[in-house]
Amino acid sequence: MMAFDLVPLFPELFLAVTGMAHLIIGVWRGNHSTHFIFWASAATYVAAALILMGVSWGDAIVLNGMFKFDNFAGFMKLIILLGLLASAALSVKYLDDEGVSRFEYPVLMTFAGIGMMLMVSANNLLALYMALELQSLSLYVLAAFRRGSLQSAEAGVKYFSLGALSSGMILFGISLIYGYTGTLDYGTLSATLLPMQSIPVGITFGLVFLLAGLAFKISAVPFHMWTPDVYQGAPTSVTAFFAIVPKIAAMGLIMRLLFEPFAPVSGQWDQIVWFLSAASMMVGAFAAIVQENIKRLLAYSSIGNMGYALIGIAAVSSTGAGAVVLYLLIYLIMTSGVFAVVLSMRRNGKAVENISDLAGLSQTQPMLAYTMAILMFSMSGIPPMAGFFGKLVIFQAAVDAQMYVLAVLGVVTSVVAAYYYLRIIKVMFFDTPAPAFDGALPFARRAVLTLSVVFVLGFVLRPSLAIVIAKNAAGALFAG
Amino acid sequence: MIIEALAFYALAGILTLSALLVITVRNPVHSVLFLILGFFNAAGLFVLLGAEFIAMILVIVYVGAVAVLFLFVVMMLDVSFADLRKGAMQYVPIGLVIGAILLSELILVYSVWGFAPETLDNRAAPVEKFEGLTNTEALGNVLYTDYIFPFQLAGLILFVAMIGAIVLTHRSRPGVRKQSVADQQARKASDVLEIRKVQTGSGA
Amino acid sequence: MEFIAVFAPLIGFIITGIFGTKMGKWPSIVITCGAMFAAAAASIYLFYAVNLQHAPYTTVLANWLTSGELSVNWALRIDQLTVVMMCVINIVSTCVHVYSVGYMSHDDHQIRFMSYLNLFTFAMLMLVTADNLLQLFFGWEGVGLASYLLIGFWHHKHSANAAAQKAFVVNRVGDLTLALGMMGCFAVFGSINFDVIFAEASKYADTDFVLFGQHLHAMTAICLLLFIGSMGKSAQILLHTWLPDAMEGPTPVSALIHAATMVTAGVFLLARLSPLFEYAPEIRVMITLVGTATAFIAATIGMTQFDIKRVIAYSTMSQLGYMFFALGVSAYSAAIFHLMTHAFFKALLFLSAGSVIHALSDEQDMRKMGGLWKKIPFTYIMMWTGALALAGIPPFAGFYSKDIVMEAAYASSNWSGQLAFWMSLAAVFMTSFYSWRLIIMTFHGKPRSSEEVMDHVHESPSVMLVPLFILAMGAVFSGAFFYEPFVGGEKAAAHGEMSAGHEEAGHHQPEVVPHESGGEDTVWARQSFWGDSILVLDENDSLQAAHHAPKWVKFSPLAVGLLGIIMAYLIYMTGPGVPDKIRRAVPALHALSFNKWYFDEIYDFLFVRRAFGLGRIFTKADRKIIDRFGPDGGATASGATAKLFSRFQTGFIYQYAFVMMIAVISLLSWFVFRAGQGG
Repeated sequence: MMAFDLVPLFPELFLAVTGMAHLIIGVWRGNHSTHFIFWASAATYVAAALILMGVSWGDAIVLNGMFKFDNFAGFMKLIILLGLLASAALSVKYLDDEGVSRFEYPVLMTFAGIGMMLMVSANNLLALYMALELQSLSLYVLAAFRRGSLQSAEAGVKYFSLGALSSGMILFGISLIYGYTGTLDYGTLSATLLPMQSIPVGITFGLVFLLAGLAFKISAVPFHMWTPDVYQGAPTSVTAFFAIVPKIAAMGLIMRLLFEPFAPVSGQWDQIVWFLSAASMMVGAFAAIVQENIKRLLAYSSIGNMGYALIGIAAVSSTGAGAVVLYLLIYLIMTSGVFAVVLSMRRNGKAVENISDLAGLSQTQPMLAYTMAILMFSMSGIPPMAGFFGKLVIFQAAVDAQMYVLAVLGVVTSVVAAYYYLRIIKVMFFDTPAPAFDGALPFARRAVLTLSVVFVLGFVLRPSLAIVIAKNAAGALFAG
Repeated sequence: MIIEALAFYALAGILTLSALLVITVRNPVHSVLFLILGFFNAAGLFVLLGAEFIAMILVIVYVGAVAVLFLFVVMMLDVSFADLRKGAMQYVPIGLVIGAILLSELILVYSVWGFAPETLDNRAAPVEKFEGLTNTEALGNVLYTDYIFPFQLAGLILFVAMIGAIVLTHRSRPGVRKQSVADQQARKASDVLEIRKVQTGSGA
Repeated sequence: MEFIAVFAPLIGFIITGIFGTKMGKWPSIVITCGAMFAAAAASIYLFYAVNLQHAPYTTVLANWLTSGELSVNWALRIDQLTVVMMCVINIVSTCVHVYSVGYMSHDDHQIRFMSYLNLFTFAMLMLVTADNLLQLFFGWEGVGLASYLLIGFWHHKHSANAAAQKAFVVNRVGDLTLALGMMGCFAVFGSINFDVIFAEASKYADTDFVLFGQHLHAMTAICLLLFIGSMGKSAQILLHTWLPDAMEGPTPVSALIHAATMVTAGVFLLARLSPLFEYAPEIRVMITLVGTATAFIAATIGMTQFDIKRVIAYSTMSQLGYMFFALGVSAYSAAIFHLMTHAFFKALLFLSAGSVIHALSDEQDMRKMGGLWKKIPFTYIMMWTGALALAGIPPFAGFYSKDIVMEAAYASSNWSGQLAFWMSLAAVFMTSFYSWRLIIMTFHGKPRSSEEVMDHVHESPSVMLVPLFILAMGAVFSGAFFYEPFVGGEKAAAHGEMSAGHEEAGHHQPEVVPHESGGEDTVWARQSFWGDSILVLDENDSLQAAHHAPKWVKFSPLAVGLLGIIMAYLIYMTGPGVPDKIRRAVPALHALSFNKWYFDEIYDFLFVRRAFGLGRIFTKADRKIIDRFGPDGGATASGATAKLFSRFQTGFIYQYAFVMMIAVISLLSWFVFRAGQGG
């Protein structure tokens, strides 16, 4: 039995305690305190990040092997906290404008955040499941947060029902794996699987169910069907949150799961990942073409992006894993910026969501149009923006692993995807202007947008820095 | 031995049958009742396995709380399940095909059931420690020690579920008269009662 | 120190670019100008520390990118050539900044203007401090961008937008070949760092490239590409058409970018890469010819233009031609010398012209000027100073630099040098002719503008006049003062040792190279002044020979220049009808000059319309053949695929659940199938 050591959990414990404290304040003071709780939560995320950097980043497995802290977990948690911070900053003003400013919102975000952070540290299938549920349940509620709106409620119900199905698959998969190996612990699992001559088909089945359920969480095709509907239906700030953070956590969880306990059976799962990746890239690129609603478009964009990230996992190498981590980081920052723009699409006090509403933005709000253009260029992977490097390292990893089909498919779908990103630029710059959007951007949103653009443009100055950090973080998965 | 086998087949048979009926009967109330029957049979199976604690939990939680709640919902909401089912009916054939494939594949998997020799240690691990303890005691021994992490996490999940339920359903309606115990307690006679002296004889 | 000199403008740009509108006008002006003062002061200190102490060094800031063999740093290469350029850039830029405070004071977007100027200065400094071709290219594109932004600064003017685009597009041609040249360098040397390239240049002097089965002399090919690259930026003939149009920008921009600094980037590039060009004699002949042609043709055009800024623009082009043929005859330091003096007097001329334009309420046509000299005497004196320097009248700066350039051309062992000398002599005549034509038309004679405008004529505020005065100081004294260190003195015998130690170029070399002819001489002789920053092979050293040129060669430019002044005086001062008579006497020549040798028309005919025509052909072919099967076919297929995918997206939960289940079952079946195969 391992020592009862809570130090590696300090950031999560801190978040949990402050989250509950915020809830108490909220219940006490009512919805007037929403703003305060938002900023307090943002401060909490920063503080949690500081605590995270304060704890030792050496490998630690605590709580009866349920929880593992290593370089990878640390770095992913930092990214997650960054995403939470960005989402919180993006949400405040939007919720005010929409009249759904309720104090539970930041609290639920915090709890979802705890779930995500635990996900990347899960070292046991049971812990995996529990962390995943904590995150998912918070997200279900957030999706339906604007309960007065039919669309939002529909989004919540859809996400919840299908999420329940995926949870069922995960549980069934876990039970199969437990049945065939007699353990849930990651370390024991890999020790059990390693000497096996032939893998019982039951384990493969368990893995398929498990991966199918997890693919739902990262909205990989063909488990992506909920994504466009939920993205469209949920309040835009929630959509931003969905697009920015949970995918990263789920991706981190999948990476640890596949590269640690199931590394010995990589011959089995890499075909699944290959398929998910190829299908996601295709659907993400092609289905987005006909979208008119920008939130739906971004949903497909995120599907496609998860496809690219999965390439790095399918490569089954530490280079590939490093590429995934870097890709996720860049994706997070770009997406935050894009949503800062989308959240600002309001006309006469009402949010508008169609691409055609952006028409002629370069004349009505040139700064917004130019920043959006930069982000779109980056999303489509045009050098020298950060998005280009993200794709570059991914494709390099694919080529190194001799997965030429995936690499070629990735490039082809990038070209197709570039069409719809560039279409937005075309609409903004060359179409007859639609009426201007309301007012200036609030400070927090402007800050997110500025930082995002600065990162996207500045990445080229020191690309190696981020690449090396990401590689080191991913290296922790291959250490054991 | 034979009784045990007989009990197993009886319980399993009724379980499968009631599960089938849950999704086929027309009346939703009947549907829920069959669900309850199914739970009972599942609990019986657990008892057969010697997991009496889980069997009891199943009865208390699922039958006692969840299914009864379902029953209330079904009876209070006037939902025509027949209408809902209409759209889904077109998928029955393909559903059957998929179900059949899945079933055959699972049969295939279970038919070659067997532990790989490498798993021997894993299987041995949890059993010996709790020799001679009842099921409940054994669970209690590990729940707050080895499994404190998922246990606490479950607590958080329930907490979030509670917040969610309140967020999504609670609305503060103005103009609704609620009982306020504190106000009632603090009320004094002088606040609400005014005693007027009425002059006698001045009324007409 | 070098950090202040290079990054102060960047910081100024960032601060005013982001917070400028928040802070208001005056804080922004203080920040931008303050940054420039700091940078100028720092670069003067560097001049002392590096050039006078002979201590060039390189500061590596960070690794930029590493990819295979290619490794590129962000670095500041501070050697003598760089520091001279930095001084010129920062001093002129400071003057222009201060001048703009007055000149642009009525413009609503002055803050943006000032921050762009800062950006430009930073990009230019990046260009000159680069220690590899990529960083140089970064600065090169940066100045191009800033130039684009500033030419089109008044973006509500259609002509300004067109000019900005023209400048950008024409420059692309040069940029393309520069990039190709850079790749060529990498292909040959396996590096694009200057240290490596320069050290290895002599080894590859006879190397051949094999391209498409053709053997090309590597050095010649690379140098050709780099030279064409520099032609675009420096407005040499054939790629010059953007420069006159660029005068659409505000006058301070013309002074800073299109006279003093950016257009000289090509000159700097060639001087910087002197170790390569020394091994490409054919290209140097070509440079000489192009430079000569530019000097001559631009001068002829300048004689007949009426827009005051265009006259000066053609004069700039002509002077750039001088610098180029100086480079062509290996007189690199003479070219840089002329670059420096030219920066002062041409900026002075432009800013004086700006002062005139300012006084006349934005009138640029010289036909509507005249009789101004009594009203704006200070500007008048400044204009004279600039013109005297431009015409090469002693003791003004232009006399020294232009003479040494022409002497070097004459003394060069090559026939092209001789040609350059005689052609440029003709250009000298024309130069002084159009300079005094400008002065006389602008300041003398009867006022030709309306009463109303003349009433408004006033001397500019002192914030505009002080920079003029400082530049005038430069235009007067910089020639005499820097003649010896830049181009004077005998080539030291120690040179042999120095080129042997040339591999260490760029490393810290604090020790003063021993010099045979005594201590004093070491500081003030050109070889020790320039150190290793410029390489001239002994057999090519035309400057050495220039000092032994015959007396008449030294005096003929002066004589011809005076002749030009007298001619201008006779023609424009005596009677207003004289110019017309001349015009009628030689109509063909006048038309040729007045229409700028028809370059724009020819280009329009040859390229623009051809490109459109070709475009039309391609459009048709494209639509009919390629589009149908390629993009359009692809797009149609994509559209169809998209529709197919969205047909699944019905919005019904049970259907989504079905898709998920089918996917799981398919995956399972795949594994069962594989297991059945014997997996």
